[in-house]
Amino acid sequence: MKDIIKPAAVLAAVTFCASLLLATVFAVTKERIAFLDSEAEKNALAIVLPGYSITGTAKTKDNKIYWVGEKTENGETINGFAFISESPGYSGTIRCMIGVDSNMNILGISILKQTETPGLGARSVEIASKNTFWDVITGSAVDEGIQFPWFQQQFAGLNGNKTVQVVKNGDWTPEMASDLVSQNAVSAITGATITSKAVVDCIHKGISEYNDIIKNSNK
Amino acid sequence: MEIKLFITILFSTIFINNYVLSQTLGICPFLGVSKKTDSAAGMGFAVIFVMTLASVITYFIYKYILIPFSITYLRTIAFILVIASIVQLVEMAINKLSPSLYRALGIFLPLITTNCAVLGVAVLNVDSGFITKEFGLLMTIVQGFGAGVGFLLALMLMSGIRERLETADIPFNLRGMPISFIIAGLLSLAFLGFAGMSF
Amino acid sequence: MSIKKEFLKGLVEKNPVMVLGIGLCPALAVTTSVSNALWMMIATTFVLTCSNVLVSLVKDYIPSHIRIPVFITIIAAFVTVVEITLKAYQPEVYTSLGIFIPLIVVNCIILGRAEEFASRNGVFISIIDALGMGIGFGLTLTILAFFRETLGANKLFGYTLIPGFKPAGMMAIAPGAFITLGLMLWAMNRIMVSRKHKK
Repeated sequence: MKDIIKPAAVLAAVTFCASLLLATVFAVTKERIAFLDSEAEKNALAIVLPGYSITGTAKTKDNKIYWVGEKTENGETINGFAFISESPGYSGTIRCMIGVDSNMNILGISILKQTETPGLGARSVEIASKNTFWDVITGSAVDEGIQFPWFQQQFAGLNGNKTVQVVKNGDWTPEMASDLVSQNAVSAITGATITSKAVVDCIHKGISEYNDIIKNSNK
Repeated sequence: MEIKLFITILFSTIFINNYVLSQTLGICPFLGVSKKTDSAAGMGFAVIFVMTLASVITYFIYKYILIPFSITYLRTIAFILVIASIVQLVEMAINKLSPSLYRALGIFLPLITTNCAVLGVAVLNVDSGFITKEFGLLMTIVQGFGAGVGFLLALMLMSGIRERLETADIPFNLRGMPISFIIAGLLSLAFLGFAGMSF
Repeated sequence: MSIKKEFLKGLVEKNPVMVLGIGLCPALAVTTSVSNALWMMIATTFVLTCSNVLVSLVKDYIPSHIRIPVFITIIAAFVTVVEITLKAYQPEVYTSLGIFIPLIVVNCIILGRAEEFASRNGVFISIIDALGMGIGFGLTLTILAFFRETLGANKLFGYTLIPGFKPAGMMAIAPGAFITLGLMLWAMNRIMVSRKHKK
């Protein structure tokens, strides 16, 4: 009997101490993590609803949250809406936040979570800095201010009611913008067409879910 | 409709996101036990069994213990202890029930505890949000089983090649580990061909 | 038993990745960028040092047949500490290392050192051993990551190296990891052999 009790007691004591340690660490960092989460949400909302002030959140039937924002332009108040959508990517789930105005024009998107291949699909959240490594070491790097990931930037201004096309024009540059917007298309990340399509799918899915909400609320 | 989803998960874990060859999980047993086809098969089947069982049990632990008490930060510690106990239990059970199976699988079982693919599949089940979804239990089972089959497939392919390599004339400095890594690289390159397949 | 010898053995003669062939999963998976490799080194060295200290402190009170579960619990606790701390203070590192932070638990180096060294030696020398092993592991990762990041993404620490140069994307994904590590092992064998000849 003693052979069972002693090991069990030792194991229980070790596990107890471990849990106690973790509970302490968790309690210390809890506020900081919650703060970071709310900051991340705020930043994402600022990207997908640029210039809008968030006036409230609402819940759909299946408990999904969406945000309502408004801004004043030429004396008129216009509304913007933001919602979160998820769809499978190349590896794992892609979660993105989408902002649209009442005419279903995409105001901006922000990828909240992705686990795509580093160097390929993960470039969907890459910020293209013009500074090279040598500039940084020699101290000649230019401060480029706040920049947005180029892949996500190209969604702003597209029409959410039509299908967003994926074309292979190489990495996006501001010069391509007007051409792509007229085609209602985005340029895929080189070597990561699947991820690019997955992000587009995620947006289509989000918009169609959102359209369902509007239809239901109008009835 | 749901069937299609399960087939997608199964196909994806076996071929597209093969745990060994495209996610580089479980490399230690992959290189350690792939010298002979027989032992590779034994290890592979033991891993399929443990992975499926671990997926199911960690599903229940996460959904009915960790989430309700909001102690999800204990995930790693809970999962690894569960996996270690499953491996022990399976070892004892097989030993009692079928000594012949124990002789075939026995020596591989203790190695599975530190196979990162097993803890990997449990953590990925949580990360991909399967736990809270409808049909979550079935999804985790399919993902666990698929990951195991993918592991077996990679191990069989590798051991088949390595058995033939024994008679090949390899430059002295490349023998052993270096050539195995290069072969694994080529296999992994071949598996890239599955990328983008969908149903 | 000299301090210098215990420290240096982890770097060269018993290098975990290159010589012992353990800890391969993180070595292949997180080496897409040098900064990821360095963070992995910090996280692993921290866990390894803490677990070695604790194991060498409590080694006399643990019945020998349950030592493995106790060691695993201790390691998992420190891994979770790292996980929570990174989530709170380095959220970018937390997302880019992803699943490989919880998987430090099953990194054979840590359990191996606890079992082989810390459970037989004093506290101070265990710290030295942990630092040597952790840094030896991390340096290998950094070298591997250097090749993969420069060739696979044309970048270093996230900044472009040669503007306009099209990198070899294969180096950034799994096949590139396998093949680069294979070639590194080959180069190491080559150097070892020529050294032996000189002696």
